[in-house]
Amino acid sequence: MAASRWVRMGAAAGVVTIFLALVGLIGGFTDVYLIGDQITFAGLMLVLPAFAAGLVAAAPRVEGGERHEMRFVEAITAAAVAGAAAGAVFGATMILADVIGVERIRTVFLNVSPQLMEFVTFGQATLVGAVIIVVMSTVAGVLGGALRVAPTSVRRPVTVAVMATLLFGFLQRVIPIALDQLKLERDWLYSVSFDGLTWIGAIVVGAVAAGVSVLKGRFGTQLRGRVAGIRGRTGPAVSPGVLVAGVFALALLIAAPMLLGSVISEVLGTVMVFALLGIGLNIVVGYAGLLDLGYVFFFALGAYSLALLTGATLNAYGIPPDPAISGHLNFYVAIPIVMLIAAAAGVLVGAPVLRLRGDYLALVTLGLGEMVTVLVGSPWLVPLVGGPSGMRGITDAAIGGLAFRDPQRFYYLALAFVGLAAFISWRLATSRIGRAWTAMREDEQTADAMGISTTRFKLLAFSIGGAIGSLGGALFAVKIGSLTPASFQVLVSIQVLGLVILGGMGSIPGVLVGALVLVGLPGLLREFEEYRFLAYGAAVVAVMVLRPQGLVPNVRRSRELQDEERAQDEWAKAAEEGETPPEIATATGATT
Amino acid sequence: MPVVGTDAVLEVRGLQKHFGGLYALSGLDMDVRRGEIVSVIGPNGAGKSTLFNVITGIYEPDAGDIRYGDASIVGLRPHQVVKLGIARTFQNVRLFANMTILENAMVGQHCRSRGGVFGSILRTPGVRAEEERIRERAKEALSFFGKRLSGYRLEQPAFSLSYANRRRLEMARALATDPQLLLLDEPTAGMNPRETLELRDHIVRMRDELGLTVIVIEHDMRVVKGVSDRVVACDYGQKIAEGTYDEVAHDERVIEAYLGTKAND
Amino acid sequence: MAGTEAPRVEAVRLSRFEQLPWRRIILVILGIIVVGVVGIGATRTLTLGKAEGGYSAGAWRDFVVQGAAQGAIFAMIALGYSLVYGILRMINFAHGEVFMAGSFGSFFFADAYEKSGFLDRDPILALLIVTAVAIGVSVGTAVLLERLAYRPLRNAPRLVPLITAIGASLFLQNTFRGFFGPQPYGYPKPVVLAGNITVLGVPVQRIQLLVLVVAVICMAVLQWFVSTTTTGRSMRAVAQDREIASLMGINVDRVIVTTFAIGGVLAGIAGVLYSLTFEQVQFTMGFKPGIAAFTAAVLGGIGSIGGAALGGFVIGLLQAVGPPLILTGFGIPSVFSLKDAFVFLVLVLVLVFRPGGLLGTGEAEKV
Repeated sequence: MAASRWVRMGAAAGVVTIFLALVGLIGGFTDVYLIGDQITFAGLMLVLPAFAAGLVAAAPRVEGGERHEMRFVEAITAAAVAGAAAGAVFGATMILADVIGVERIRTVFLNVSPQLMEFVTFGQATLVGAVIIVVMSTVAGVLGGALRVAPTSVRRPVTVAVMATLLFGFLQRVIPIALDQLKLERDWLYSVSFDGLTWIGAIVVGAVAAGVSVLKGRFGTQLRGRVAGIRGRTGPAVSPGVLVAGVFALALLIAAPMLLGSVISEVLGTVMVFALLGIGLNIVVGYAGLLDLGYVFFFALGAYSLALLTGATLNAYGIPPDPAISGHLNFYVAIPIVMLIAAAAGVLVGAPVLRLRGDYLALVTLGLGEMVTVLVGSPWLVPLVGGPSGMRGITDAAIGGLAFRDPQRFYYLALAFVGLAAFISWRLATSRIGRAWTAMREDEQTADAMGISTTRFKLLAFSIGGAIGSLGGALFAVKIGSLTPASFQVLVSIQVLGLVILGGMGSIPGVLVGALVLVGLPGLLREFEEYRFLAYGAAVVAVMVLRPQGLVPNVRRSRELQDEERAQDEWAKAAEEGETPPEIATATGATT
Repeated sequence: MPVVGTDAVLEVRGLQKHFGGLYALSGLDMDVRRGEIVSVIGPNGAGKSTLFNVITGIYEPDAGDIRYGDASIVGLRPHQVVKLGIARTFQNVRLFANMTILENAMVGQHCRSRGGVFGSILRTPGVRAEEERIRERAKEALSFFGKRLSGYRLEQPAFSLSYANRRRLEMARALATDPQLLLLDEPTAGMNPRETLELRDHIVRMRDELGLTVIVIEHDMRVVKGVSDRVVACDYGQKIAEGTYDEVAHDERVIEAYLGTKAND
Repeated sequence: MAGTEAPRVEAVRLSRFEQLPWRRIILVILGIIVVGVVGIGATRTLTLGKAEGGYSAGAWRDFVVQGAAQGAIFAMIALGYSLVYGILRMINFAHGEVFMAGSFGSFFFADAYEKSGFLDRDPILALLIVTAVAIGVSVGTAVLLERLAYRPLRNAPRLVPLITAIGASLFLQNTFRGFFGPQPYGYPKPVVLAGNITVLGVPVQRIQLLVLVVAVICMAVLQWFVSTTTTGRSMRAVAQDREIASLMGINVDRVIVTTFAIGGVLAGIAGVLYSLTFEQVQFTMGFKPGIAAFTAAVLGGIGSIGGAALGGFVIGLLQAVGPPLILTGFGIPSVFSLKDAFVFLVLVLVLVFRPGGLLGTGEAEKV
């Protein structure tokens, strides 16, 4: 029976809410205000699962090969039932918690605190609170369902408006600073007392976003068609939307440090370092299709070799390192050497292992990365790299008198290197080498049979990716000025992989977006620091299950990763819209 | 029709290959002379595709030798074999489905080009000229099949092609490697009669216009009859007959391999 | 094409450089280095006198026993990897977290029982309950993993489930961190398991003996299960050919869930044994044993039960005996801090030289 399906969805959502509470994402954020003093992050977390349940419950069903859109009333009922179920599950758990006793539960689940209970019961008796939760969840579910069955012309602007508002709410530490720098009025937008958006500000942001979305929908296709007509059929059509977004993004990137002050610039500097690492790993994973879980190997290699080559000292006793492996070179002289060392290491390490199949390769690289992690912190190698206390006194990459350790200056240095790496990566991707990588990725055996030496090209990807990674490591060393083994754990490899995947494997803009989201956001929103990796894990799983081509996909990759049928469906749709696909013409017997 | 040369392009001697207990090739001998079209026929499981796989280096033989020109090519990797001038197509078409048609053909030219890392990054004049050349050569190879694989089709992904065109693309890709010897593995499988006859003519053109030597694995006897200078029949991993089409078609052992022996009356 | 002259490429000669069998050369050189290091290190260590840091016979004996006990735990976790790999051809990267979950889940019961004295009054019953809890949590985690993260991706290209597994691993770790905090908790040990006991003239820790006995029993039961029961047969069928098995009427989904569950059972038991041995649980505790167990599974030939068991013991012994035996000879200080690096090195070497495992053919599975 359909209703049982809705109840089950709601129950699942309720379990998710319980999960959020247990993990601390509700209790810890009761005073993070997103809009006014009513909408807190905790409140959002409380109703979001119910909202999602409503959204899913009202979704069109595929039955017997046909898509059944839900009628409005049915959809709303479904959504309401799902929402109510979610609320009921959570409410019941609340009551249970009260019966067992919060203090006793707290000995196991640390986040079940009186404060949490206070929040979820809205200060009322538990039973009353539970009822309120059920009501709220039902409403949230209904809203989700309503959104789902709304016509696209309504749904898209609303979704965009809500997401934009939430985004502005989240960036409450960032945007006001920028506005202040630009000497713009900000008190109407961001509340002085609660840090979040004011209601007026929220409405304005939402309205503007919705407006942009509507305009884009209405005029976007026309504009695209006209631009395509002007440029002729040659070359891939870059939609004007993408172009405008690109220019805007570039301007933002360049202006950011000046707008946002040095605290935020420091975070952005880290974002740039990770973006650099992402570009490097993107070559290995995205272009050549080699899953590398040990990228920290090159990161560490770059950082430590730069430190050694430019005259850093071993922290343990402030003593200089072994003269046989160190020097006092200028940063800019040392960089090419560092990259060369990394490339050579990539070849040495890669040669025996790159012929292994996907899963095995992933684990071998993990093992290698781990070995490096253990080694740089080991007592054995203290005379070489300083062991657990690391190294310090790393150059600040000065040119003339201009040093780069200052957060804003460093950002520009890093940005320059990111630009360089992106350029190199792009040039390679669009060359014969990129073609070879793509062929290898599609069908390794056939590529080999067509003249591509897979060993050589895998090694090439691995060592170039490694060289870029070492560049990231060197920059990191400059940024911090000192090195400790704690910065070189396996988590670095996983983070970089995460941002490459989130942004879209094989896509350079995607890497930047991934870095901004996965490194920038937690850096800017300090309260979420603790939940960073939880979010990473969830994000990676979600992306892989729902949208494996990432947020800003490389067009070819999304073809590879999604069902071929879906792509061909679009082909067929294009045919319907007027252009006879070539193959149909042949089938009718016309000789070509 | 050009005179078939007397020098051997490919010599196969005593080739053996087994997988576990299955003997795919058990002592196969074969010669292929310059400029001829040889058809290899035989029932399924006779080891024909394995022969191609061994020649092109995908498998290493357990025993025997393969001589191309005057050197042994046993033990070479597939990409080295292609570089030496032996190209192939696959029984189950193996295109790079998400690459465009032109890109598929350009991959063929990979072994005839050199563009290195620094050249590619800097787009030196040499590399740019080479890219142009690769592109032109690929288009040439594609145009062998007429207008089917040209014009606006070039930028379309390979998966959008019809079955017959996919087979043609695969052949064009092989042609783009500038081979001397071309191995076609059941090129007409799955094609309708009209397409089959057309392809038969293409194969002959490959020999006449491009000067290629061709080995074709085929089941369709119309094609075999129409293209072959010589036919080699195989069964159980060995050669059981060799000669012109008529000779082989009437050979008792060949008939037995396909149809079985006559029951006693 | 008509009209142009036939394209001519002279028979290209491959340079001597290209013709060298590079792969074999590299492997041979690597092999010589490894054998050399092992040989030299071992000889030097064994000739060291007591004063220079050499080890007594008693010390070696302790290393071996400890290695065997550790190996038993690795073997049980490795079986989980092997079983899942056999059925899905995928490495369940998050299996280490399944192990951790069971251990962590059981901690609260063990802790409560210790505080109330139940643990020492009736250790057998208490431990049985604790293990049951561990099994429950581990199995639950494993089944959830399969249902939510892996099942939707059954037909995805190879990389995708692996990346998902990594994400799942990260997620699970941090979930436990979120629920229970980042600090380590001390796992109680019942009095009856403290101290040593002499077996065949060899002093072993009581807990080590328990580990070995339990592990062997579990593996025997598993072997019996897989080879005799219907479910076991179904598992083997699905591992061979999923599609045909489903055509033969086997409910493939159920078999897969069962496989994950069995892996969970073993991991849960291993979790309790591990925590009793090291008297600690923490949200990160699954990572290193997970890697060691995976190495063991590959070492023994992934997909094979006997292989996983054998591999487990080998890895256990290697990581206990290897660092002192080989590294001390080179004068490397605190060899035991490099224990993990040693395991990782073994992982790398196994995958480079014999990805098919010790009992395999030296070739990784054909793609």
